[in-house]
Amino acid sequence: MTDHPFIIWLDHESASGNPLLGGKFSNLAEMLAADFSVPPGFGVSTAAYHHFMDQAGLAAEATALLTSGSSVASSVIKGKASDMVAAIMSQPLPSDLETAIRHNYTSLEEKVGQKDVPVAVRSSGELEDLTGASFAGQYDTYLWIIGADSVLHHVRKCWASMFGEAVFSYRSGVEEAGGKQDIGICAGIQQMVEARAAGVMFTLDPLNGDRSKVAIEACWGLGEGVVKGDVTPSRFIIDKVTFEVIKRQIVSQLEEYAFDPKTGAVGLVPLAADHQDSACIADKEAVQLAKLGKHIEQRRSAPQDIEWAINQQGDIKILQVRPETVWSQRERSGLVSDVKSPIDHVLLRLSGVQMAKPPSEEGQP
Amino acid sequence: MTEKSANGTTHPTVKAPPASNKSFPNPFDLPTPAGAEGWEELYPYYYLLSPERQEMEEGKFWFFDGVHNPEPLYPFDTIMTENWWVAASQMASRVWPIPVAMGIDQRLINGYIYVSPNGVTDPEKIAERQEHFTRRAGHYFGNWDEIYAEWTEKAKGCIGRLDEIKFQPLPEIEPEENVFSHRGIYSSHDLLCSYNRLIENMLEMGSYHFEMLNLGYGAYLTFRDFCQQAFPGITDATITQMVCGIDNLLLRPDDEVRRLAAAAMELKVAEIILKNEQPDEMLAAMAKAEGGADWLEKFEAAKEPWFRFSTGVGYTHSDPVWIDDLRLPLMAMRNYIELLQRGEDISRPLAALLEKRGKVTEEYRALLPTDQDREAFDGLLGLTCKVFPHVEDHNFFVEHWHHTNFWSKVRELADVFVAHNFFDDREDLFFLHRHEVYDALYDLLTGWATGSPARGEVYWRPIVKRRREMRDALAKWTPPPALGTPPSVITEPITIMLWGITEETVEEWLGVDASADSDMLRGVPAASGKATGLARIVKDSEDLYQLQDGEILVCRIIAPSWAPVFSRIAAAVSDVGGIMAHSAIISREYGLPSVVGTGFATANIHTGDLVEVDGDAGTVRVLERAAG
Repeated sequence: MTDHPFIIWLDHESASGNPLLGGKFSNLAEMLAADFSVPPGFGVSTAAYHHFMDQAGLAAEATALLTSGSSVASSVIKGKASDMVAAIMSQPLPSDLETAIRHNYTSLEEKVGQKDVPVAVRSSGELEDLTGASFAGQYDTYLWIIGADSVLHHVRKCWASMFGEAVFSYRSGVEEAGGKQDIGICAGIQQMVEARAAGVMFTLDPLNGDRSKVAIEACWGLGEGVVKGDVTPSRFIIDKVTFEVIKRQIVSQLEEYAFDPKTGAVGLVPLAADHQDSACIADKEAVQLAKLGKHIEQRRSAPQDIEWAINQQGDIKILQVRPETVWSQRERSGLVSDVKSPIDHVLLRLSGVQMAKPPSEEGQP
Repeated sequence: MTEKSANGTTHPTVKAPPASNKSFPNPFDLPTPAGAEGWEELYPYYYLLSPERQEMEEGKFWFFDGVHNPEPLYPFDTIMTENWWVAASQMASRVWPIPVAMGIDQRLINGYIYVSPNGVTDPEKIAERQEHFTRRAGHYFGNWDEIYAEWTEKAKGCIGRLDEIKFQPLPEIEPEENVFSHRGIYSSHDLLCSYNRLIENMLEMGSYHFEMLNLGYGAYLTFRDFCQQAFPGITDATITQMVCGIDNLLLRPDDEVRRLAAAAMELKVAEIILKNEQPDEMLAAMAKAEGGADWLEKFEAAKEPWFRFSTGVGYTHSDPVWIDDLRLPLMAMRNYIELLQRGEDISRPLAALLEKRGKVTEEYRALLPTDQDREAFDGLLGLTCKVFPHVEDHNFFVEHWHHTNFWSKVRELADVFVAHNFFDDREDLFFLHRHEVYDALYDLLTGWATGSPARGEVYWRPIVKRRREMRDALAKWTPPPALGTPPSVITEPITIMLWGITEETVEEWLGVDASADSDMLRGVPAASGKATGLARIVKDSEDLYQLQDGEILVCRIIAPSWAPVFSRIAAAVSDVGGIMAHSAIISREYGLPSVVGTGFATANIHTGDLVEVDGDAGTVRVLERAAG
């Protein structure tokens, strides 16, 4: 039990890089351990997931499903998976696990000093990071969840998302390459950031793989729109060495993702008129973000894809970090094809010949 | 959707083809400014547009070279532009020869200089030229340090011979020694020869000016291309930072002022400098003070050659020079003394600058994809750093040390004309072209030799008066940035190197409305940072003395010699100039936000306006107009 706790707080000494937290959450714990600002919270570990599956008698079937790969007709898998989702949503929770989650939600309320603190419940898959595939957007995230009952319900939904259709189709190729037999999932529970602005940044230019840039996409309100793609973000390209703002593309925004008291859920609501045409983050904040991104990249020794939010007080919070997976896995093609002396380069240039080819000449991903 | 790039230009996401239907004004259609009718007489025939060559001339692309000559040219001062018309052009066309480039043509239009680069397009010719070019330029690059050492000696020799040229009014009776030494030639011949030597000396230095310069720029350009390919969007400011000398001769005059300020503190004579704002009074008080003689000795030693520092580009006789107008260095000196009295450190943070440069370079290097790229980067950076000292330091040798000296020699000659009753004022000579001066000089000799009054005594005064009025009228005109037929592509390296003109520049000019009185100006982001303050329009160095601490300097072109006021201003904005302009380099050295090449800042902004300068975005915004 002590080796495989159900609950691990992000700020616990065992949290950083702990596989029981899944990829996403163990990365966040690592960020917190390195003093980056991460919203407080805890993970309902993969051990908790396995405990539930065992107690509910679903474990064997789950393993069979997850290892079936492409050897079984997809219609058969689809049927079995949807039975599995229904079972996960309805089987009783082991009481020790339910008590632990309720108790720790109360602890979070006390910690942040807010009764019924709104939280985000995020799936954090064990496979993330392990395979070099990002699983971006394949597992579910639930925002502005209030109260222990609702948290419990959404923890189940995270577990069930293991068997969602999208995950299956995304994973099959990975599995064939020799996957893990007994995959678990963690449900991360964190205080919601009431974001004034939020978005995503890459510590390289995703359009051409240029590693001297940080590319930021940002919008007013929660970052869901940027992640989902239904809000056109403003874009910034920052030089990663000098932190000059190289490019700034401000896009008008009419609606933002925010908690809507009318529906009791997060959705698109009208954006205040004076925000619609103005930049959601100042240059100064874009530069701050880029500096943060550079630090995270240095710490993790590879280009990163980072979700972030800026709260009403102007503090930047890291919501998610994961390795960038497109350019990082390509062989980087060089600029010069043959060895020449610098003088020859200059002579050719003055003869009207370009010496180097632009990065990613072979096209965009 | 539009996309804003860092230099603030807005262009459609889908790029329009470079040569749109728009065109620049036909150079033959420009109206003559009122009061300037007949301005053509100020300049030689070969400098003007002409009907016989109209088809060729209106088919070319001409751009205004406000970087070097923002004002209408004085007739005598065309020696400078005429010099590079030949000297810079021949390097590209005949000496190297650069395969795709011929020379750069010039015309004076309403007194302003327009230039037009000629290219080579015939592939056969390009290949033939490349062979010569590779061998010759390869020799220079391969032996750069030795050739540069020779260059320095040639430059100093030329300056030394210039110093020896003297002009004196002709004597009433030829001195006895000229008779008893049996020379057979006399003061008249000496005067004429001195004038010829003066002109030849200027053209000699003018030739040295371009001997190595374009190769230096070429190495820089290649390194810049490489960086832009590797790190698309990397700013020129950053690239220049990797190659520019932390210590170059252009910074030396200001360093001397700092040293003199420190010496004044040590010798306890600083109060004399603070209390006497007039240079003559200060020097007189200093001579009487204890310790003053020691300080004056240091002062005199520093003046040669470091105060041979023009407050302009050096191409214009009217730009004041420190050594003739000590107010500028002394103002800076007072500022430094005050800083020292407050216990502040006035030395430039060389170690910090070096460390920052090393760090930036190392970081970019590490970001390159392959070891082969790093090898190319190291090689090009090494070559560029090798040639860049010449690119920076030539400016002190040529434009400052030599040319300021040249202008004072011309004034010495002008005094001869004043003494012989041709002019009332030495400055009048600059309204004559150098070939007219030769005529006038011969006229003077005939008067002296014969004893009849020379015609020049009555001939030149009305002409000078008329020309001065015409030039004043021309000065009120705003030259459009470009004329003629826009080029579809610009590949010719010299244009890109020296003026930073690219297809984007041409597109932007096509969209510019010179008459629009806008609150928002865009230019080239030359030095990083943001500042807000009251604008001070500085049209000439006289205006510098009005500057208040924390103001934003707005001018046609920033002269390097204005550096002393850089520590007092919050930001600098200019109408003309590119990223390689010396002023941009110095702005960066001073960590001063700077936007250059705004086109119309001095027309749109007025002294007292509250403006915001964004040296990263390249924008200047008027936040509040001054009353009235």
